Order: sequence, then C-alpha cells, then structure tokens
Amino acid sequence: MKALTANRLADGEVVFWRGGAWMERFADAELFDDDAQAEAAEGHAKAEITCLVDPYLIDVVEVEGGVAPLSYRERLRALGPTNKPDHGKQAAGGADIEVLAHAHGAARSTGRVNLIKRK
Amino acid sequence: MYRYDPIDQAMLADRAAEFREQCARRLAGDLTEDQFKPLRLMNGLYLQLHAYMLRVAIPYGTLDSDQLRALARVARTYDRGYGHFTTRTNIQFHWIKLRDAPDILDDLAKVGLHAIQTSGNCIRNITADPHAGATADEVDDPRIWVEAMRQWSTFHPEFAFLPRKFKIAVTAAAKDRAAIKIYDVGLRLHRDDAGELSFEVHVGGGLGRTPYIGPVIRERLPARHLLSYLQAILRVFNRHGRRDNIFKARIKILVAALGVEEFSRQVEEEWAKTDKAQVDLPDVELARIRAAFAPNGFETLPPVSKAFAAARLSDPAFARFARHNVMAHKVPGYALVNIALKTPGETPGDASAEQMEVVADLADRYSFGEARVTYEQNLLLPHVKLDDVPAVHAELAAAGLASANIGLISDIIACPGLDYCALANARAIPIAQDIARKFADPEVAEKVGELKIKISGCINACGHHHVGHIGILGVDKKGEEFYQLTLGGSGEDNASLGQILGPALPADGVTRAIDQMVEVYLKERTGEERFLDTFRRTGLTPFKEAVYAEAH
Amino acid sequence: MPKLIKWRAGAAAIVEDPFTSVADDQEIPPGDVIISLRRFHDEGARLLGGGRAVGVRIEPNEAVEDLAYDLPMLAVVALAFPKFRDGRAFSAARVLRERLGFTGEVRAVGDVLLEQAPYLIRCGFDAVETEDPSTVARWTAAARRYRHVYQRAADGREPAFVERQREPALVERVGI
Repeated sequence: MKALTANRLADGEVVFWRGGAWMERFADAELFDDDAQAEAAEGHAKAEITCLVDPYLIDVVEVEGGVAPLSYRERLRALGPTNKPDHGKQAAGGADIEVLAHAHGAARSTGRVNLIKRK
Repeated sequence: MYRYDPIDQAMLADRAAEFREQCARRLAGDLTEDQFKPLRLMNGLYLQLHAYMLRVAIPYGTLDSDQLRALARVARTYDRGYGHFTTRTNIQFHWIKLRDAPDILDDLAKVGLHAIQTSGNCIRNITADPHAGATADEVDDPRIWVEAMRQWSTFHPEFAFLPRKFKIAVTAAAKDRAAIKIYDVGLRLHRDDAGELSFEVHVGGGLGRTPYIGPVIRERLPARHLLSYLQAILRVFNRHGRRDNIFKARIKILVAALGVEEFSRQVEEEWAKTDKAQVDLPDVELARIRAAFAPNGFETLPPVSKAFAAARLSDPAFARFARHNVMAHKVPGYALVNIALKTPGETPGDASAEQMEVVADLADRYSFGEARVTYEQNLLLPHVKLDDVPAVHAELAAAGLASANIGLISDIIACPGLDYCALANARAIPIAQDIARKFADPEVAEKVGELKIKISGCINACGHHHVGHIGILGVDKKGEEFYQLTLGGSGEDNASLGQILGPALPADGVTRAIDQMVEVYLKERTGEERFLDTFRRTGLTPFKEAVYAEAH
Repeated sequence: MPKLIKWRAGAAAIVEDPFTSVADDQEIPPGDVIISLRRFHDEGARLLGGGRAVGVRIEPNEAVEDLAYDLPMLAVVALAFPKFRDGRAFSAARVLRERLGFTGEVRAVGDVLLEQAPYLIRCGFDAVETEDPSTVARWTAAARRYRHVYQRAADGREPAFVERQREPALVERVGI
C-alpha cells in the first residue's frame, strides 16, 4: 500500500494526495494498492510546482486500529514533533492521531519509495 | 556593540527586497524548486519535516535588547511562540511559512538582523568567544575581527558557490570558548611583546562523517592581513575543493588530501600573488569597528559585592547559581551571568517569546542592553554588576530561566533531530530530556560536576557529539532509533574526538548507560578530576564494562 | 541556440554573437570561433595568424593561468558552469581580470542562473549565454540590486569602507 505526500509550497504544511486534492490529515490520504496508479498520481503532483515541493510516495501498512506510514519518519511528519504534543497535526487529537501515535517499528526510517533510483 | 550604519542597513534591505521578488517568482511558478532552493538557502530558509525553518544569524553571538524583542515578535507573530538557539549561535524558527518569509526578513532588517548566508555553500555566520569584551584573559575583543570578516564575507561574489559550506570561529582568549578547532577556519588572536596582534590560523577542522581537529597552517599571521589571507584560503578551496561528492567537499578533506604542508604552501603562494592592499581593511576602518566595541559606561566598583556575598550566604539556590552560572568579569565588581536554556525536561536551547523578552528587559536594566548566545545553546548577560546579580537571578527564576547547571550533566547540547530535521536519522531531544530529568536534582548534578553531553540526531553532527565528554549519535538500525555513545571528546583546548564505547544502544537504554558511566566515574575519580579527566586517565575499559556487562 | 547577453554601461542587452562555439570533434568553420583550451594549444597560433577573433573556453578544472601569455591576443574567454552550483568560474574570472589584466570579453556559458548576475558582474564577467532572451531586463535589474558592496572585486566598485571614508556622515550611527 502506498500514499503520496508532499509539503505545500506556500506554508510548508505536510499534505497527502486524495484524488487530485491535497489533505492535511494522513487519515484522509488516498491509499494506492496499484503501483501504476500511485506513480500516475506522483506524476501529476510533480507538475504542480506552484503548490507543492517534492511530492513522493511512501509505504503504508496496516496497524492496530487502522493504517500508518511504514517508516517512523513519515509517522512523525503525519503527527508532529514528539517534544511538543500541542504542535503539529497531533494537536487536533482524535482516533486517527491515536492510531499513528501507537504504531511502532519501521523498515526504513526515510520511508521513501524509490529513494535510490533504480535504472 | 556594533550598530549597523546606513550602508549595513541598506545591504539588509536590498537583500530582503531581492528575496521578496524571488519568493514571488517561485510562488508564481517562474522558478522551479531546483532553481529556487539555493536562493532560499542563502537566506537561511530550509524546508524541514513539518514546515519551513528560518535560521536567523546572530553574528558573534551578540544581541541587543531590541533585537531580542524583535526575535520574540517573530516567534509570536509568525511561529509558535518560541525559538531555538543553535550550536552556531544562530536562532531557528521551526514553523515558518514561505509566504511570510519576506515580511519576516523586513521586520528583522529594521533591527539589524538577517538570515543572510546562514545556509548554502557560502561563508556562514562567524562565531566568537561569548565572553568577548568581558573577560580578562583575551588579548583583544575578537568581535572586532569577526565584524570585519562578516562584512567582507557578506555577498562576497567569488565565494557564493563554494564546494560546500564554510564556517569560521574566533577566540582571543587563553581558554577557547569558541571551539575554534572544529571549524573550517579557526582563528586565535595573539599579542606579542611589542603589542602587535596576530592570528594563529587553523584550517580543516570539522565534525560530521569525517571529523578532524583543525591543524595549524600558519602560526602567526599579522592581524591586518586577515582578509587577504582568508581570500587566499577561500580561493584555494573554491578552485580545488572536491565537487564530485558532497560528503567529501569540505575544506577538511582538501587539507587532509594535500597534507597540511602542501595546503599551506598553496595558500601562501596564492597570498603572495595577492595585492593585499586591495583586500585588507585600512586602519581607519578597523579603528571605526574597534571603536564600536569599546567598553563604555562601567562604574568604578569594589571587587567584592556585599549584596552578592550576602545573597550567597542566605539563599542556597542563589549560592548554587553563583557557583555555576556566574563568571568573573575583567572589570572589578562586574560578572558574566549565564542563562541556561536547559531546564531539565525542556527542549535544550529553546526559549519562549516571553523568556526572550525577560532577557531583553534584564539586558536593558542590568547589562548595557546586551546579551550573548553561546555555542552550547545558552544565553548570557555579559556585564552585570555583582550587586545586581541577586535581582537578576530572582527574575530569571520567575521566568524559568535560572537552572544552575552550566557545564553540568543536565546542560546538554542537542540538535533538533528527527523531531524537526529532514536530515536526521533519530530523535535527539527526547534523549536529552530523559537524561536531564534523571539528573535534575541539582545536588546530584553538582556532585557529578562538569560533564558535557552532546547529542546529534545524525552524522552531520550539529549537536557536536564528536566533542562531547559523552557524545551520543542517533542512528537508524532497521528503522528503529539506536544511539552510539562516544567518550572523551572535547571542543576546547586539548581538543579531542570521542572514542566509540561499543555497539549502539536502543533509545530506552541510553539514560541507563549514562547513569552507569556516572557511577563508574564517581567511583574512579581521584582528587579534582572531572569526568573527562578520569576518562583520559582510565580509558574506555571501566566504562565499557559497566555499560555492556549485562549483555554478556 | 543560446543568445548572448552583454553588459555595457550598467545595462544588459541582447547582442548578435559573432562567435561560433566549436566542439573538439567538429571542423572549425570560417569566422570567429571559441574553442577549448586543448584545441587552442594545438591550433591557436594558426587560427590567430589567419586574422580572425579567437576565444577560448575554460572548464572549471582548467587553470586560466595557462592562458596568461596568450590573453593579449584573445577576444573572449568563456568560463564554463557545468552546474550553476559550481562556482569555480568566479575565481577564474577574478584572476583573469585582476591578476592577468585581461580586457577582452569574459563570458559565462552553461548552467547560469539569473540570480547569479550580481556575482558574475562583480567578478568581471561581461557576457552570458542564455537560452531565454526575454530575461534581459531582469539581468539588468539583478545586476543593479545592491546599492553598496563590502569588498573590492573585479568590477571596480568602491567598497563600503571607502565610501565611509569619503562620507563621514554615514559613520555617525556606529557604537553604543
């Protein structure tokens, strides 16, 4: 499973693709089971240079209570800094935040798909 | 302190106007991110995990109260009400929006602050001894020379696209409080018997993947030739530094590859061809800068303050504060008052807007309007009358700024780490918080004595872990946060790089390991030995055994 | 085909480029040419003897000092920017102007950003090849961006510390 994320150009906010729109909550992210669809979305996103910086795909896995980014780094992007629980997206609270906060472990801390380009 | 004249002000205004246009072009899509990124970096604006981060320069770590208040306003207006002071004596705001950046730079420019060259492959903010102008052990005020270098390096057209970033640090004191040996260029001022000033020049220090203690390339450089000599160093670096691999692009790699002798020879050769009069500052300009830093307004006071002595006797908390945070000043009756931004359990180096305003106010009332930032992520008031220290302490205490732990185990350097930084592999802040909480009891901390713990969230070493008495490096092991400990580093005189203790520990094992090592130290120490001294005598063995014994 | 922007009297203008840049494996056409340093070593004398204007292209890892004795006969030195981040040409340009006294055209070729204009001019460049001629006005504006400079460079602009000496009124605000 994959999701597509980026930072919004104007304010740096972490956002997630959902059907061509950009959502601020990971819970609202579109999940791709199909790699081709994921890459097509990424292609669209890369063209949106006035909205976004650096869109990229991330791995998502099922966890207790829902889904979460596989990598710890991406979970932090979806939540906020751990030293200030009232800063970042986590401040909104709610069940989806709880799911992210309780997920643990990861395969790669950078969490980017295709970080190293394969020829 | 140096106040910006109309020319200095115009520089900031022109740069802010240029960046405003560049931002507009980026937002309109006329610039791609690839084209915009180096421009935004040259104005200290990073894109990090959660938002943009703006790094504002604090040249030679010196601020006046207006500047501190302006930083507080930026924190409040454009950020989340706080700022983070860094190991390069800059301040970072972690929640900035790109579209606000031009307004922020305009606001900062009004008080002579900027974010010029705080990132990018250019000459960065130059740091100095935080006790400059207040300490008896300096031969000159190093900030005079740093201000000269600041101007020379600002928008220097030849050195804006170097192989890599370039960091300079300066001291003029016998004791190196600027860690000059861990930077690309480290300068130490000397004065000979005839009263002539000269620089001892180190080149090629640095931390990161390949740490080096900077070797001396020239023992004595007449001070008036500082800029022409620097130009020679920078030109050799610009022309011959590696450009094929960003991990091998710092000048330290070039110095190591050529060897100190050959590198020095190339610099001398370039310098010999230089028309020095075109580069070096004329005496009148040096005098102008010098005059700005001239001491001014000190009263003639007795060296001993009755009020200070009485407060020490009557208030144990104040006595502790006096022991650790108050340092001797060159003028009798005055002192340097350190403000630790290290309340155990808080984020090291952070200050709220309110706290910045408290310090600004104290600076106005008690320190000629001046405050300093240290590379250990603390603040200080450089010129406080001993008589006034008790009042200052009381107000600091009310603002949560009176931790009496300067140089102690809870005075930890920690980079922002994976909580904020796009480069990090692991978090640093929670590790610092945990250790500081463990040793929060001031009596315990005092018993342990001087112990400098430095934590980096990745190999870039912004937390200076290589030169920590205990260094902690966060690494990513199969997606989990692990921490590699090193012992015996020091960024001061007798600079040394830490030695690896053993295999990396999981996050929840770090505080326990620190505790075990403190136990070893307390058991092994003789006489007045600090942790570092004991380690230098015993080596790794007893510490290693204590930490890894259970594993076997 | 890149256009040539030239600085003259403080303004940028698109000009016809009389020079043809010739790669090492191409035949040299008639007329004014810019060739590589290596080719210049081989064929430079012959070309110059034929009466045409000759320019030499210097890569970042080549030393402009190699041209020291030939400079009086060269019309152009083209300094290459393989990537805009590769700032070696800025040093080369300053050496050309300030140390070697070159008075011909110093041209920036390759991946050059508009934003680099102030630095290019200060280091002694007076021409840049660009794919986008519509940016001429922007080059002029960019080059004029800074009212003052702190250090001397190849452009002869008076540094701040000289301005201050000339106008003491500027100096009054310094100090506590």
